[in-house]
Amino acid sequence: MATPINDTLDVTREPPRPSSFSRPFWEATREKKLLLQYCKRTGQYQFFPRPTSLFTGRRELEWREVSGHGKIFTYTVAHRGPGHFHGHEPYLIATVTLDEGVNVIANLVHCDLDQVKIGMPVKPFWLKLANGTHLLMFEPAPAKP
Amino acid sequence: MALRDTAIIGYAETKIFDKTDRDVFELGADILDSLLDRTGIEKGEIDGLLLSSSMTGAGNPFWSQTTADQLGLELDFCQTVDLGGCSPVGCVARAAAAIDAGYCTTAFLLFADAQASENRMTARGFGQEWNAPYGLIGPPAAFGLLSRRYEHQYGLDYRMLGKLAVAQREHALLNDNACEKLRKKISIDDYLNSRMIADPIRLLDCVMVCDGASGLLVTSTARAKAKGLSRFVVPIGYGERTNYREAENIVDITESGHSAAGQRAFATSGLKPSDIASFHPYDDFIIAIMLQLEMLGFCKHGQGPAFIRENDFLFSGNLPLNTGGGQISAGQPGLAGGGVNLVEAVRQLFGEGGHRQVKNTDNALVTGIGWIPYGRNWGTSVVMILTPDA
Repeated sequence: MATPINDTLDVTREPPRPSSFSRPFWEATREKKLLLQYCKRTGQYQFFPRPTSLFTGRRELEWREVSGHGKIFTYTVAHRGPGHFHGHEPYLIATVTLDEGVNVIANLVHCDLDQVKIGMPVKPFWLKLANGTHLLMFEPAPAKP
Repeated sequence: MALRDTAIIGYAETKIFDKTDRDVFELGADILDSLLDRTGIEKGEIDGLLLSSSMTGAGNPFWSQTTADQLGLELDFCQTVDLGGCSPVGCVARAAAAIDAGYCTTAFLLFADAQASENRMTARGFGQEWNAPYGLIGPPAAFGLLSRRYEHQYGLDYRMLGKLAVAQREHALLNDNACEKLRKKISIDDYLNSRMIADPIRLLDCVMVCDGASGLLVTSTARAKAKGLSRFVVPIGYGERTNYREAENIVDITESGHSAAGQRAFATSGLKPSDIASFHPYDDFIIAIMLQLEMLGFCKHGQGPAFIRENDFLFSGNLPLNTGGGQISAGQPGLAGGGVNLVEAVRQLFGEGGHRQVKNTDNALVTGIGWIPYGRNWGTSVVMILTPDA
């Protein structure tokens, strides 16, 4: 029997308050688009959004849309949720390495506990928030040919 | 050389409580009173104050000055060190530098927090935007992610983590200052069967937030000798690293800045891991102890479980570990928690360990872990090697 796991999709989530430099990320999620900061000097992406390039300390960053496809880097099963998550355990939290080479932490949904493993391919799942933005989550993706 | 010219001439600590109704300033006053009593130093001789940051004081940006005023101290050097669990060890290094620079001569290092009863922290950082929407339970979730990755890379016999938990608990049973709620014998099976918090992190992997205080009195070795103080403890090696591999996107989260901090501490001390007589690592989660054994070079990366199997970590063993119980079994007095293992190491080198006195007091190694960044293990790593009266 598969271990029951909660997708937490009905947990009340306060929409995050964007910072002056993360606002483009959140605005793009209104259309379920995933934007990452891209450092033009070094040709690298970075996540989470920061006010400057992690690699150079310079501010030559641009936003680029990416697919959000990636693989599970690691995961944990939360058995004690804070705040509104209390009573919705157990649920999955995963670190996902996107194809663009950054790690993103998010809930993993539509995935059995018996199914989840490190290296598993995932794709974005967008959860609508009260202010019209969406929260990036992940769900299992068919393996690429 | 500045560090070796530094003398820790006294230590003090309160009992750790799961909750206290005593004000954090009163906890600090207890530490000051105790240090003056045991060293014979007069209050007026104290001209430096270094505080660890405090969850209780987190809403007050004038924390060191306010505390100094509450305790009636007039000072030439006054600061709060805000490196989370690295603050107390970091305070020793900064006190040594301040004394060496001539900014002060006698520094009071105070680590006091009443986080369990009065937490005034608002963490302004990435949390509300990138963690909270996913129900991340802070440190346990971060260490759950880390532990799963370690297991994937190297395999992990959780019984070996249980062995560390049991050793620390045995020490708490011998420590009257440990939080009473935690002074109950446990077995490896108790560890394995404790309920999951953030699988694979179990309840008995975690620290319990408490209230309490500890502190040190620090001066130069020359002044200590001039004062006729017969015993003191000298730091002979220190290393500190914040945001290890910050400018890399994908890092091995089973590696920490303790590799860099440890190399520096060993190089300055002239010692190597096999020389270490007792080991007092920061313990917010049991697996952090194992990772530090690896990062500091007691064993190779990935060989922690085998190393634990082969060694005896009781106070009577070949590598005594957190002989007061560590924070996990003595309690974590908030951001003063880094003082728990530091003060225990100093106590052991003074030869005042009582029923848990280690045999070999040639030296002791103390560490700190501070802050949990996004998708990594921890923010700051510190390593300090102490010797008695060098």
